[in-house]
Amino acid sequence: MLQLIKVSGKSLFPEYREGDFVLVAKIPFFLRHIRQGDIIVFDHPVYGLMIKRVERLVPERDEIYVIGTHEFSVDSRTFGPISWKVLVGKVIWHIQIPR
Amino acid sequence: MIYKLAEALDKKFNFDEAKAHCDIPCGIYDPITAQIAALTVVRMIDLMKELEEGHADHNEEYQNSMARYVAVKEEHAEKAKHEIRVIWGDYIKQQHVDKHPELNGLVHKIMQLGSKSRQTADRDQAVQFVDAINQFAEIFWDTKGIAIKRAKAPYKPGLEMVYPNL
Repeated sequence: MLQLIKVSGKSLFPEYREGDFVLVAKIPFFLRHIRQGDIIVFDHPVYGLMIKRVERLVPERDEIYVIGTHEFSVDSRTFGPISWKVLVGKVIWHIQIPR
Repeated sequence: MIYKLAEALDKKFNFDEAKAHCDIPCGIYDPITAQIAALTVVRMIDLMKELEEGHADHNEEYQNSMARYVAVKEEHAEKAKHEIRVIWGDYIKQQHVDKHPELNGLVHKIMQLGSKSRQTADRDQAVQFVDAINQFAEIFWDTKGIAIKRAKAPYKPGLEMVYPNL
């Protein structure tokens, strides 16, 4: 129901940095309450396990648009919306690498 | 402490990694190019003044040097404007503007001061141009979470500049 995951890459920099940890809730209650701006983890069929911010939701089409903060972030601008089916969980705790 | 605990657990259990994936490693943006270009504008104005004061006779030598200083001033004022436009247009995102609401107004001010620096030989305007670009640099480095330091440029006109404190 809860999973600790390590962040790699820079697409959510500077808020999330390489080496940060996140606690991800897989509890259905949290998954039903995903909102714009939430940070989510999902298992993309091509790119694998990814962490991004929710840009917008299209519930009627079962779609979530995700986005990174970095200019060259690979996200829905590249691969389009993701399906709810690939959603792993919502980040509920961010453990930052010492700065 | 919590991070160290998470790190120790990661070493033991090897947590999954979620990629905050980027297409190419990093865009290379640095306002120093604009800062140096703006500083060059001030330097050219100083050289123009020195030339004017040292030549009672506006002969070919004088005309040639003055034309060159003006051309370099034109070129560098435009270069500084261009560099700021690129960073503002390609790198700056909405969240940066949200954090620094003065940013768009500052960029507009830089554009105007750059134009004034081309149109005139007004040193005060050119120094304001450098100052405004320094303010932009300060915001730029803040968006990257990098502290800044202020130091005088180690060459004429030796104005105070903003540098990343790496």
